[in-house]
Parts: sequence; C-alpha cells; structure tokens
Amino acid sequence: MKLNIEGLLVYFPYDYIYPEQYSYMLELKRTLDAKGHGVLEMPSGTGKTISLLSLIVAYQRAFPLEVTKLIYCSRTVPEIEKVVEELRKLMEFYTKETGESNNFLALALSSRKNLCIHPEVSSLRFGKEVDGKCHSLTASYIRAQHHSNPNLPVCRFYEEFDSVGRQVPLPAGIYNLDDLKAFGRRKGWCPYYLARYSILHANIVVYSYHYLLDPKIADLVSKELAKKSVVVFDEAHNIDNVCIDSMSVNITRRTLDRCQNNVDTLQNTIHKIKETDAAKLREEYRRLVEGLKEANVARETDIYLANPVLPDEILQEAVPGSIRTAEHFVGFMRRFLEYLKSRLRVQHVVQESAPQFLKDIFDKVCIDRKPLRFCAERLQSLLRTLEIADIADFSAVTLISNFATLVSTYSQGFTIIIEPFEDRTPTIANPVLHFSCMDPSIAIKPVFQRFQSVVITSGTLSPLDIYPRILDFRPVTMASFTMTLARTCLCPLIVGRGNDQVALSSKFETREDFAVIRNYGNLLLEMSAIVPDGIVAFFTSYVYMENIVASWYEQGILENIQRNKLIFIETQDAAETSMALEKYQEACENGRGAILLSVARGKVSEGIDFVHHYGRAVLMFGVPYVYTQSRILKARLEYLRDQFQIRENDFLTFDAMRHAAQCVGRAIRGKTDYGLMIFADKRYARADKRGKLPRWIQEHINDGSLNLTVDEAVQLSKHFLRQMAQPFRQEDQLGLSLLTLEQLESEEMLQKITQIAHQT
Amino acid sequence: AHLITMTSLSEEVLLVVKKVRQKKQDGTLYLMAERIAWGPEGKDRFTVSHLYADIRCQKISPDGKAKVQLQLVLHTGESTTFHFANESTALKDREAAKELLQQLLPKFKKKANKELEEKNRMLQEDPVLFQLYKDLVVSQVISAEEFWANRLGGINNTDPSPYNNKQEVGISGAFLADIRPQTDGCNGLRYNLTADIIESIFRTYPAVKQKYSENVPHNLTEKEFWTRFFQSHYFHRDRINTGTQDIFSECAKQDEKGLKSLVTQGVKNPLVDLQSLEDKTLDEGYGICTTQPSTSNANKSVKDSSNSAIIKRFNHHSAMVLAAGSRRGELASDQASETSSTDGNSRDSDFFQPPVKKVKLQEAIEFEDLQRENRPKTVPLNLKKSDRYAHGPVPLQSQQYTTSQDIINSVNYIRHEMANYKPSLTQVLSSTAATSAIAALSPGGVLMQGGAQQAINQMVPTEVQGELKHLYVAAGELLRHFWSCFPVNTPFLEEKVIKMKSNLERFQMTKLHPFKEKIQRQYLSTNLTGHLEEMLQTAYSKFQIWQTRRMMRKT
Repeated sequence: MKLNIEGLLVYFPYDYIYPEQYSYMLELKRTLDAKGHGVLEMPSGTGKTISLLSLIVAYQRAFPLEVTKLIYCSRTVPEIEKVVEELRKLMEFYTKETGESNNFLALALSSRKNLCIHPEVSSLRFGKEVDGKCHSLTASYIRAQHHSNPNLPVCRFYEEFDSVGRQVPLPAGIYNLDDLKAFGRRKGWCPYYLARYSILHANIVVYSYHYLLDPKIADLVSKELAKKSVVVFDEAHNIDNVCIDSMSVNITRRTLDRCQNNVDTLQNTIHKIKETDAAKLREEYRRLVEGLKEANVARETDIYLANPVLPDEILQEAVPGSIRTAEHFVGFMRRFLEYLKSRLRVQHVVQESAPQFLKDIFDKVCIDRKPLRFCAERLQSLLRTLEIADIADFSAVTLISNFATLVSTYSQGFTIIIEPFEDRTPTIANPVLHFSCMDPSIAIKPVFQRFQSVVITSGTLSPLDIYPRILDFRPVTMASFTMTLARTCLCPLIVGRGNDQVALSSKFETREDFAVIRNYGNLLLEMSAIVPDGIVAFFTSYVYMENIVASWYEQGILENIQRNKLIFIETQDAAETSMALEKYQEACENGRGAILLSVARGKVSEGIDFVHHYGRAVLMFGVPYVYTQSRILKARLEYLRDQFQIRENDFLTFDAMRHAAQCVGRAIRGKTDYGLMIFADKRYARADKRGKLPRWIQEHINDGSLNLTVDEAVQLSKHFLRQMAQPFRQEDQLGLSLLTLEQLESEEMLQKITQIAHQT
Repeated sequence: AHLITMTSLSEEVLLVVKKVRQKKQDGTLYLMAERIAWGPEGKDRFTVSHLYADIRCQKISPDGKAKVQLQLVLHTGESTTFHFANESTALKDREAAKELLQQLLPKFKKKANKELEEKNRMLQEDPVLFQLYKDLVVSQVISAEEFWANRLGGINNTDPSPYNNKQEVGISGAFLADIRPQTDGCNGLRYNLTADIIESIFRTYPAVKQKYSENVPHNLTEKEFWTRFFQSHYFHRDRINTGTQDIFSECAKQDEKGLKSLVTQGVKNPLVDLQSLEDKTLDEGYGICTTQPSTSNANKSVKDSSNSAIIKRFNHHSAMVLAAGSRRGELASDQASETSSTDGNSRDSDFFQPPVKKVKLQEAIEFEDLQRENRPKTVPLNLKKSDRYAHGPVPLQSQQYTTSQDIINSVNYIRHEMANYKPSLTQVLSSTAATSAIAALSPGGVLMQGGAQQAINQMVPTEVQGELKHLYVAAGELLRHFWSCFPVNTPFLEEKVIKMKSNLERFQMTKLHPFKEKIQRQYLSTNLTGHLEEMLQTAYSKFQIWQTRRMMRKT
C-alpha cells in the first residue's frame, strides 16, 4: 500500500499495516526532519525493520540531497541477512508499483569469514585465521614482492578486483552476503573488498555494530562514509556494552610472555634486515619524521593499521624521536613490558586512574606520555617495514601497544585494576591488569558527532531516558510504542511463592536454599505438563543453572519432567549448544515437545528467536543481575554515579530488567504468535522492577498476577492456553490491530494512533 | 515302510507316540516337521492332521486328573483332544509331545500370526470390511481365501499400503526414570526391568546393545549384565568414572565420540548456529570479562565437572531419544544430503547451502497477517506413477463436455435472468393451476419423484437402508472380483471368472431376492434394488459375450 506520512509518499510492501507501524514511521520521519537523533522502542514482531526501511527509503527518494545513505547496524549475521531480505522485498514492491527498476544499491558487509571465496582461505574455521591468511595474500608488500617473484602466492580474486573491479561500480541492486559471493565468483573478484569498496557509494549499507563502534575497525571501514547518512542501531538494548567492550583491554602474564616473544622476534628481524637491507629502515625513519599522514598509503589492505583511537593531533605530528628508529622503539617496548611485568607482581588488588598510571610509569622507568601515544601507530609502521606476513602472531604486542596509546590518550572514563588472583581461587596466582572503559559514550561519540541522524531502536529499551544519559547525546524524539492486540497473546505472570508459600527468589541469600530450588523445579514440572511444544527457561547465570540442574537431578525432578518433554541444556560450548538448539527445535517440530534450559545474557538469550511452537512459554528463574562483586563493575557504577548521576541500584536494576525483558521477549515474535512469560521471583512484583519492563509487557501484568503461587500460575496458564488455542483469523484482527488503507485513513483511527506512541 | 505309505511326501517324523486315543478310537500320534497327525490303529491314513501354523495353542489336563489329555486349539476355534492311554507311560508320553510342541509351535506361530493378526486388524479397523466379510464369507457366498486373495496383497508386497504405513512408536524420554530402584529390605536395590525398557535402552543406546550382544551369554548372564549396567557410572550420570573394569566405560567413550562428531558436523539451520552468529568477535585480550574465566580445567572442582557431566548427558540422552524416534526418516534425509554434497567441495559448500538458509530467512521475515490472502496450505500431489498421470485415460469418443467455464457462465446467466425478472402481471396463472403446480413441486409431488435420495431418506425405514447399504457393498465387492478377471487371458482367470459368475448368481439368489421380497412385503413400492440388478445384469451380459466369443474361438 502507499501511505502518506505527513506529506511523504511511503511505499509499504504489504496489503495491511499495524497501527504501531504507522505511528513508528511518523516518529521516525520527525527525527529525520529535525536532522537529530532518536530513541524508539517498539515490540519485537510488529514489523519494526520493514517500517524503518520503508520510511527511510522513501525519504531518500524524496530528498536525495538531504539523506544520501542509510547505515543499518544490527547485531548478528542472521539479523543482517534478514534486514537485506526485507529490503529486497521492499524494492521488489517499488518495482512492481512504479514499473521502473530503481537504481538503489544496497548491500550487506560482513567479515572475511562470511564473504571469502578463496578456496583455501575460506575453508579455515575461525574468523581470525581467515583474516590472517587473507592478509598474508593481499598485503601491499606481499603483492609488491609478487611482482619480482611470481611464485609467491597472492589471492587472484583480490588481484582481479584491484585491477578491474574498482573502475566499474557495483550495479544497482540488493546484495546479500550470498549474492555478493555469487557476484564475486562470476566476476572473479573478491567479494569482501568489493563490498568494502562499494559501501562508499551504496545507498544502503547493512553491517554489524563493530564496523561503526569498534574504533579499530571503524577507522578502516567506515571512516569515509558520508556525513549525510542516517545511522540505525537495531536491537540496540546492549549498545553500551558493545561500546565498552571495544575499548577495554586485559593483560595477563601470558599476554606479556607472548609479547616478549614478539619483541624478541622483532629485534632479530631488525638485525637481519640491517645487514641485508639497511636502506629500508632508513626509508622508514624518513617517513616517520614526516609524520604519520603518509602512513595512510597502504591502509586499506593492511589490517594491522587498525588503530584504537588515533587523536587527530597525532596525525599532524612527527613520531617522537625516542621511538623513531626501529631499535629504539623495540627497546622502548622492552622497557614498557618490563614495567608491566613488575606491575603484575602484586599481592593485593590495585586500582588507579590513567593519570596515576602515567605518573607511576614516568617515575619508575621514565617513560613519557607522548611516545606512549604513538605506540600503536609506530608498531604498525614497523611491522609493515619488516614485512611480517603473519600478523596474527603479533596480536600480543599489538594489544600492548594499543593499550599504551589508549592509556596515554584518555585521562577520563577508564580505570586500571590489577588483580593478583581470581576471587574464587585465591590460592592460585593469576594476575590480570584490566584496563577497562567505563564510559560507553567515548566509543559512540564520533558516530553521534559525524552523522546527521542516529536512531537507536529495539524491542526492549525501557526505561528510554537512560540511554541518552549513558551514551551522552540529546535525542529529538524518544518514544515507546505498544503492541495493539486483537487478542491478548502474551501472558506475563509473576510467580512469587511456591505451593508451600516459600518465597521464590534467586537473591544471594536464598540461592542455595533447597526449598526454593525445589519449588522452581515444581514450577517447571507443572508447566511441562500443560504447555504444548516448546518451553524455554532462563537462569540468571551459568553457575546457578549448573547447581540447580544438579540438584533437580538428585531430587528426581528432571526425570519427571522427561516424562512430558525432552530436556536440552545450554552449555558453555557454542557448538554443543547449537546442536542442542537444533535438536530442541526438531523435538518441537515433530510434536514431542522439549524444554531448553538456558542462561540470561548468554548467546541463546540474545540471538535466537523462539517463534510460535518453538516457545510457548518462557520461564525466567530469578532476576538476572550482573555479578555485582566484580571490581570493574563497581568502578563503572561509581563512574556512572559521579558523571551521570545514575544511582547504582537504578543501573543494576535497569540492566537486570533489560536482560529479563530480552529473555521473555524471545517467545513473542508477532501478533499471531502467543506465549506465556513467567517471571519466577517475588522481586519482579516490586514497582521499581516491574516499572522497568517495556511498556508492551508491563501493560498486560494485572494486579492479580503479581504474587502467584505455582498452582495459581498453572491455573491461569491453562486458561490462557485454552483461549489461545482457538482459531485466530485475519478478520479478527482487522480494524483493531491490523488496518487496511481506508481504515488507516479514518479520522478516528488517526486519533487512536497518536496514543500508541508513548512520549517521554 | 508303514510310514511312507501314510505320508505322501517323505516327511521327517520327529516323534511317534502310540496308544493315543482320539474320539474314543485308539491310534498313533505323529509329530512331523510341519504338522501333527493322528491315524487310527490299523489304518494307513491320517484322520487328523493339523499344520503347526494352524494351531493357536495347546492345553493339557491338570496333573491330578485321571485322564492324561492334550488339547490343540486351532485358530479357527476348533479343537482336537488326544488322550494318552498307555497306562504306564501316559504322563511321560504327553510330556514328550508337549515339550516338542512347545518348541515347534512358536516357530510357525510367528508367520501365521502375522497374517492372522493383520487380517484381524484390518477387520477391526474397517467396519465396512467387517460387514462385507460377514455378508460374503460367513454366509458362504465366497470362501475366506477368495475374500483375502487380493486384499492381503499389501501385507506380502513390499509396497507400503496405507495400512502398513503405521507410525513407529517413539521412546519415552523418561524410560530410565521408570526403573525406580526399590530397596529389597536387606541392603540391596532392586531394579525392575521390562522388555519395553530394555528395548528402549537398546534403541536409544546402540552402544549398550552392542555390549550386550558381545557379552551375553558368553561372558555374563543377562542378570549380571544388567546388574553391572545399573552399577556403572554410565547409568549414573553424576558419578565420575573411576573404575577401569567397568565394561560400560567404553560405551561412554563411544557416546562422547558420537556427540563430538555430531557437534563437529555442525547444524543445518544457519539461524541457530551460535558460532557464526557474531560477525566480529573481539580479539583476544579485548573486552570486559564480567564472568570469571573458568578456562583452566585444573581449578575446576570435582563437583563442577560432575555437574557439567550431567548436563552433557542430558543433552546426549535427549538427542538419542529423539534420533531413535526418527531414525528411519533421518536415514533418508542423510542420503539426500550426501548425494547433494558430492558435487560441492569441502567447506565451499555454500553452493547448496543457500536453499535451507533462504527458506529459513524468508520464514523469519514473513508476516503472514500483513499479506492479503492467507491461501490455504496446499497438499503436494504425491504421484506414484507420474507417466500414468501425464498420459491418463483418454476418452474413447468425443463427448459433449461441460467445462467449468460453461457452468459458471450458465450460473451467471441464470443469476442475470433472475435479477432482471419482471413479472408481467397481466399474464399470470389461475390460482388453481398455481396451487397444483406448487403441489407438484413439493416433496412427494408428481414432479419431485425423481429426487430419489430424498425419497429414500424419507420413505424407507433406516434398517432397510442399512441392509441396502450392505447389499451394495457386498455386490460391489463381488463385482470387483468379477470385473478384475477381465481381460481373461489365463486359464486361472477363466476358472475364476466362471466361479465369480456363479458367486454373483448365488448372491442374487440368497441375498438380493430375499431382500426384494421383504421390501415388497413391506409395501415399499419404490424399486430399491433396480440399480443393483442392473449392475448384476451388466456383469451377466459381459459374461455372456465373453462365453459366446470363447465358444466361437473354440469351434
């Protein structure tokens, strides 16, 4: 259908529309009009992606000079591919309606592992191996050597792309990862570099967060993307963690040992080169005098050029003399390494700020701040000069040099914690230096600054106001949308007591309590008897799940559950869990029914959807608080309190509730879907917890279902499931939660729609 | 020499018992390879002979009784009683016969039973067939053999008939839980094993089955085997393997291997592949580790590793149970994937990976309720012989067909006519003429006679209706046999067609005529049996034509 969104003609590739989709598009349009940023929460399964794409594509067509590019960031590879498929659907609709094929170019970009077509390289299993091998075939000096020595292997796909592929832009169309590979095979071009090259002139780019948020990668890939772009972060409820992760470094003894080896290797190589090809080193020295600007030359292929954060002023300056020659630099690194080693020889926990660390290092080994800042860049230059092929081996020294640059660049937002041993094993010495970022806004700041509109959206972003605070930006729109429903297809229940009236909770004091564990077991057992097909149960942590499973096994609860359904359990091994997941789905599919025991914050809870019969009930055992004893977390909480005035408890609850919402939200993926959401912890009943759930879940919790016993929950569930089992047709939804164009345009409906968006 | 005259073919005689009385006649009992027979004394033929396959069971008289007897009950329900009359050895004789029969009968039973069970089941499952059986076989219109002749085809053929295609019963996920150990009062545990549970264990854990066949009965008795099984760490998932002479530790290793190979195979559905979910994992050393790294196995406590062993075992158990339930289906799909993988090289297998992926992706982005029409899901046409479908039966002569378009057109035309109908009030019927027309068009009126269905429903009592239905079914069955003889091209068929014709005639005489008389007696004027007679008549005339042709050919 064709929609009129405040004067903008939007092609929407479906015959019907959900009211909230229309409302969502309205808010989005206002965000784009204002050229500002927005935070939008809309329940999963209400067609968020297609609404986003429809509106932004329409906007791009209507105002090609205002918005030149859409950068769509998602979290996982399947998500990325789904977005591209939806986009394809939209474009097909455009072609059908307008009768002309439009000249949009949209493509997905992913890591080499997902795009490589080189027969040897692509057969490697791990992403890092693929990257390393690719680099050893495509690095600039390798290719230069290939000219003199044709026996040296290079990647023919890259060579072909480099000589021909750049001249002709990628023809307009929609390219998913497989399409890119097929195109690459046909032309004999490297799909990865083709995609990286093509994103510069593509209308729509779909890739993962890291390409924008991880400065090491963003600097390589996304640096030149146009300013007049709209950036969308989908599934953005964890965006702060992504930001922090990309800026944090951990250093152990093992890292230092490997780094030591790296430094030794560097020194030996330098010696050798000095004897054979001293000119090369002199040339490098000359370049370094001139500054780092020239270091841009071979930037594209040499991934070790990745630089954590290279402040602009550094690029203007020459590399300081103390580390300019190769030997001096290696000597410098040795000194730095020795210093770090000495710091790791601690008996008690040390926590300090970056300036304190810098002062200490100056006092002890006379290392200045300035050369430290150049460390990362200087190392890359050296590695390039020495023509070291396998850069994967040099990850340790790269890590240390990145750390050096980061610690000397940022005086705020980071903390250094040195722990002599793990808390759980105080007798085993295993010192770690955590250099952890506490301020997610550091990594995302360039994105907000550079791009015209940044939209942060997800199914669960409640409470909305916390994101602008922790990411430090001023949104022009903030809205939360509810799910209009013709039948209440979700049933959130809070089970606070067992049948024996024992309060259910995963809180620390009652964690080992037998009565609680038994009651949790009973709840699962009873549910397994009444819920059809699949049940997913989440625990607060892996250790907690292990203990509970063991004690359920001892008490024979699991055996009884097995009479009703098969049991699959998430393990710490991703491959094993994938298999369990597939078997779980198979068991749901063939009618036997199964239970999946899983962990909040785990991969399953974040990346896997349990649509329809794959998840008729989700149980959340306990409140998934983060492990609060960690010093890093404590430091972060302190920082949040001091910098953003966010109270510790507020943040912890917010964090726990967003994960709980993520878990239970896995089961509802659309209006035709239905599922139970069981929160098994009495603490959920409190207003401060409940109030942090997304509105579309919150509004279905009635006061009667706040503190249920297991039996009561079972009764309510039975009733709910029986209702849901009735046939549900399109006609039942029409006019309420599903609209035709005429219905949409009626005055009354437009009135209603304005209420769907909940402004904050 | 005596024996050979009695048996037409030389049969192996396994046991001869003299002085056995049957129906108060003295004689001798012979147990042969395939049958049991009895001949009266002094005569060189058997008056009683039963194939072992026909015998359902044997019964013996209680020990204390004066007469020492052995009764054979046949599948037909008949029974034969033998009285062992040799005073001194009567008991011994009977025991010998009984023992031998005990060994022999089960061998034959299986085959016979299978067929019999199948027949029984078919009759039970299909009430119409059962009625037919009653009508035709019990009333002796045709023999049971003839009746089953082409029905049992499905059983013996490999062709899976719908009856044969029963779903395989899966295994309960909790079969191990059903073996609740009970204390036997003196510091021991009793496990109750049933044949079902053993079967479940074997199907779920092929490794245990293998161990069983390796060790029982040469090394261990069955009881010992299961005792060890229950003592093994293999059964108790939480125990850590300590004993080395545990024969099941190898099973555990095999399981481990199987699990590993499953894991390395990876998953087919890319959407659940957690390993390739992340696009870019952080390099080693970066990121915040909020969870304690428990990478080193050394500092894992015993309890931890036992916990993870439990979890592993549960996953494995569920996977095995699932696989046992669908093993057959799995096989086929495995083959399919194998054949398709021959053209792709090792990991560059994404040549054919996309279809699965594409389908899954499409499924994931589909909003069924946003699309206009929810077309009903169609069932794919399953053609067994596609050439027959393509060529089909060709009409012999051109006929006036009414295409669906014609019908729609005419319906539209009528609708149109109706819509445009304008009564011309000057030219209407007189009221009497109108009344009679309405009467004629009402049920029971002159013009409504043709609606036979309605008439039967209303005018014939239900029991007659039921009877008529049975007659139809029976006649249909007989006619099917009859017509299936054509073209008559073998002597066997010739014989059959003649027999069938007489069957038809017998049917008409014994069934149809009494029914016809009955309805006449009940003053049901409508000619209910007309169509049946017509069908029979057609068959007769066909038979006539065939016979005259045959005569002509012969002369």
